[in-house]
Amino acid sequence: MTRLFLRIALFCVIAGGCPAAPTPAPDNKNGDIKKSLVRISVTEQEPNYKVPWMAGNIAAGVGAGFVISGNRVMTNAHVVSNARFLALEKEDDPKKYVATVQFVAHDCDLAVLKVADPDFFKTTASLNFGGIPQIESQVSVYGYPIGGERLSVTQGVVSRIDFQTYTHSSVDQHLAIQIDAAINPGNSGGPVMQSGKVVGVAFQGYGGDVAQNVGYMIPTPVINRFLKDIEDGVYDRYMDLSVTTFNLQNPTMRRALGLVDDDRGIMVSSVASAGVSFGKLKSGDVLLSIDNHPIASDGFVELEGERVPMGEIVERKFKGEEVKLHVLRDKQETDVTVKLDAAWPFTLQSNSYDVEPRYVLFGGLLFQPLTRNFLESYQIDDLRVRYFFDFFISDELYREHPEAIVLSAVLPDPINTYLGDFKNGILDEINGSKIKTLDDVANAFRATSDEYVIKLLGVGRPLVLERAAVEAARERIMTRYNVLKEQNLRETVNVP
Amino acid sequence: MRLVIGHWLLVMSLAFVATPAFAAPAVKATAKEQHPSVVRVNATDQPWDFFHPWSKRAPYSRRALGTVLSGGRVLVTAELVANANYVELEKAEGGDRMPARVECVDYEANLALLKPEDDKFLNGIKPLDVSDAQVGDHVSVWQLESTGALLATDALVTTVEVSKYPIDDTSLLTYRLTSSLQYREGSFTVPVVVGSKVIGLLMRYDTRTQNVDVIPGPVIDHFLRDAADKHYGGFPRAGVNFAPMRDPQLRRFVGIGDDINGGVYVTQVQKGSPGDLAGIRPGDVILEIGGKAIDQDGNYVDKLYGKISMVHFISLHNDGEKVPFKIFRDRGVQQIDVTLQHRAASDYVIEPYVIDKAPKYYVLGGLVLQELSRQYLKEWGEFQKKAPERFVYYDRYQSELFENDPRKHIVILSHVLPTPSTIGYEELSYVVITKINDVPLMSLEDVARALQNPVNGFHKVEFEDNPRVIYLDAKQTEQDAAALMKNYGVPAISRLE
Repeated sequence: MTRLFLRIALFCVIAGGCPAAPTPAPDNKNGDIKKSLVRISVTEQEPNYKVPWMAGNIAAGVGAGFVISGNRVMTNAHVVSNARFLALEKEDDPKKYVATVQFVAHDCDLAVLKVADPDFFKTTASLNFGGIPQIESQVSVYGYPIGGERLSVTQGVVSRIDFQTYTHSSVDQHLAIQIDAAINPGNSGGPVMQSGKVVGVAFQGYGGDVAQNVGYMIPTPVINRFLKDIEDGVYDRYMDLSVTTFNLQNPTMRRALGLVDDDRGIMVSSVASAGVSFGKLKSGDVLLSIDNHPIASDGFVELEGERVPMGEIVERKFKGEEVKLHVLRDKQETDVTVKLDAAWPFTLQSNSYDVEPRYVLFGGLLFQPLTRNFLESYQIDDLRVRYFFDFFISDELYREHPEAIVLSAVLPDPINTYLGDFKNGILDEINGSKIKTLDDVANAFRATSDEYVIKLLGVGRPLVLERAAVEAARERIMTRYNVLKEQNLRETVNVP
Repeated sequence: MRLVIGHWLLVMSLAFVATPAFAAPAVKATAKEQHPSVVRVNATDQPWDFFHPWSKRAPYSRRALGTVLSGGRVLVTAELVANANYVELEKAEGGDRMPARVECVDYEANLALLKPEDDKFLNGIKPLDVSDAQVGDHVSVWQLESTGALLATDALVTTVEVSKYPIDDTSLLTYRLTSSLQYREGSFTVPVVVGSKVIGLLMRYDTRTQNVDVIPGPVIDHFLRDAADKHYGGFPRAGVNFAPMRDPQLRRFVGIGDDINGGVYVTQVQKGSPGDLAGIRPGDVILEIGGKAIDQDGNYVDKLYGKISMVHFISLHNDGEKVPFKIFRDRGVQQIDVTLQHRAASDYVIEPYVIDKAPKYYVLGGLVLQELSRQYLKEWGEFQKKAPERFVYYDRYQSELFENDPRKHIVILSHVLPTPSTIGYEELSYVVITKINDVPLMSLEDVARALQNPVNGFHKVEFEDNPRVIYLDAKQTEQDAAALMKNYGVPAISRLE
């Protein structure tokens, strides 16, 4: 079955709900788009977290892409995620070309592909990027959406420019442009054009039952940042200050903090200890300006004539760059410089792609780190597991458990037949050693001991596995449950 | 209908709605023209609104059956009279009515005793004695026809076990019957009878499975004996949690030899509980309680019921009674005497129920401060899924999370009534308040004391979570109080009793 790619913001678009509408007169300003548009056929393999030693189901999908400078093809990250094989087709060429992923940015849903065959680019024209289109101006969307096999064009106006959650990672929020042109499955990765220039990449829609004619595109500031980030050959992700702030609109609050009545400044309420601001900012600091842009009491700054959240200043920066903050601390003004880097606990919270699940299987007990992929695959509603995931960042649970390791399954065998009830427990100790990461689990079971005493978080009895019994059962369990490999500790990257 | 104590009520309410399940009565129901030992009870309840803790919800009435006991007493479930404003008895035939008062109530055991204002009201009604039943016994469930005639439906006792009562923390003996009950108006809290003896009160009925859960004779008997005292002690507990010990690897780890068959593994001893005071520790293995051998699953052999959970044996005792525990520790066996004790709801950091008691609150400038309780969480209905996750987590794991916490209760900011003082704070809700004006809050009572000493004219409110701290103008808060009360219809700025 072929799947047409489109990220759905909240609800699923009903496939086939959009018959081919008569296309308006060709917009000559957009030139000969056929020379730039690429149809991408993807064969993907999504890992199965419930049987992590297996490679996962194979599925096929179709998305769009377009040629950009440097003999590259741009598309969405979600079009090529977990891909095992990519084939490109051009409009006026019967041939299929094999492509590989050169760079992929899951946090902003963009990817750049390479094509080995140099003939591919002989007849193509690369597209150039424009700026942010005006609200109410018209744009054209190109792609291979549901309803037919050939190129499709839809037109619409720019409805809104705002920050949106990028559902591909599900945790990242960036600028996105909402348009009223129909964006349907298969449009993903296609260019959105205005006056012959790319002003966005179509990437996600909105559920048909809730809102109609709502499509989103990734605007050029996000695209340009991605292209700049990969210039050095590595994609470094978006940077973040890793602080929580509180608006300072309350007059009493302002007086108490020693501020005047000028609607300026927001308060730092907490600083993540795993983030770059730890040790530089503290709870109760008032941020007055960022890189010399005054911060309003609602957390907005003025940038290129627009009021945008102050985070946009950081969004546009790269790993290793600095952010200058003017801060009121204990009623004294001071300057703080923060050097940007990505914070690791946040990555556990986002969807991950192109990696094989990590796990340790011992005595039929399966241990896996608590990540979003893991949680969504098992649909665990155990309260402690949910709390650990939902409050992992805000309650800094990562300090004691950089990875929460869950006993995710028990493969029944005589040696563990009394342990089935302990499923979904979070590991605390093995033989008296605190378990902080999956590596700790592997090491604890590798250590020689007559018995392995496993303690889970919270109240409960210890789980005891005798080494002799585990060794005797090893082959039996692996054969019976078709276990190909007892552990995978590294996130083996798997990109074609 | 408001759900006061929990979702079991939903089961109750479903039970007596006419459904297709009732269309073809396949049961042997006998209508007898005899003088039933039951009266109708009309109760009007009015629970507090925990989202607006200064006000009560609309009152609602329920019609139920009361079982007449000796001494002019009438037995009903506690749930019937929870937050009752007015209770009256009504004769099955003739319809004479008489106001009644609640003589004794135990929400954990879900039992209440009523007395008519005039003792003579029950004259001529033959009281029932309390007895018990066993698996396999045929019993009848009593309802009343609208004429006042008795409708007795056959039921079979299928299971006797310890199960959860409506107050989630309470597990007591339960009879499970199977019976096809028919819908009759006013059939709440009906008795289950053998001959002239009541062996239990219906606690819940599932129309689909036709399972009837019954508060059994032994629990009623314990309640009645206790109620006869001046001081009602309640059902005692040891405060010790345990896990089964069938796993041979666990048994070898603990060092129990093959000469010992039974025993359960102590996983937790609640701080300050009878088990803790007596010196029981996690990791101990309980072998015997009061001379009864405990098997690997925590059951003992009861002379009436056979194998049943040791929780039942403990609950049969009286508050304050001393019971010897034989435990295995450090490869030896020793005896520890545990003085069993009832644990009052107010002794929990997060109270499992707040019934017949007005919720405490403090409205500070517009911030609505309360104590976290499960009753508060139940305002969300299916609170495990719908209430704020942090609060649900705190409630569920309170015995481990707050074991060494000096707080008596958890003070929370429930929500904000917007006032000029709270501009910019409107969105704050469901956060734990740790301090006010640098005074750590051990319970809501501390708020009043903390507010007496503003810091530089400000009330400084500190939270466990974001935004960590906010300030209110001490004078302005005081000046605005009257306007706030008028605007939002709040009769008093606080209730700390």
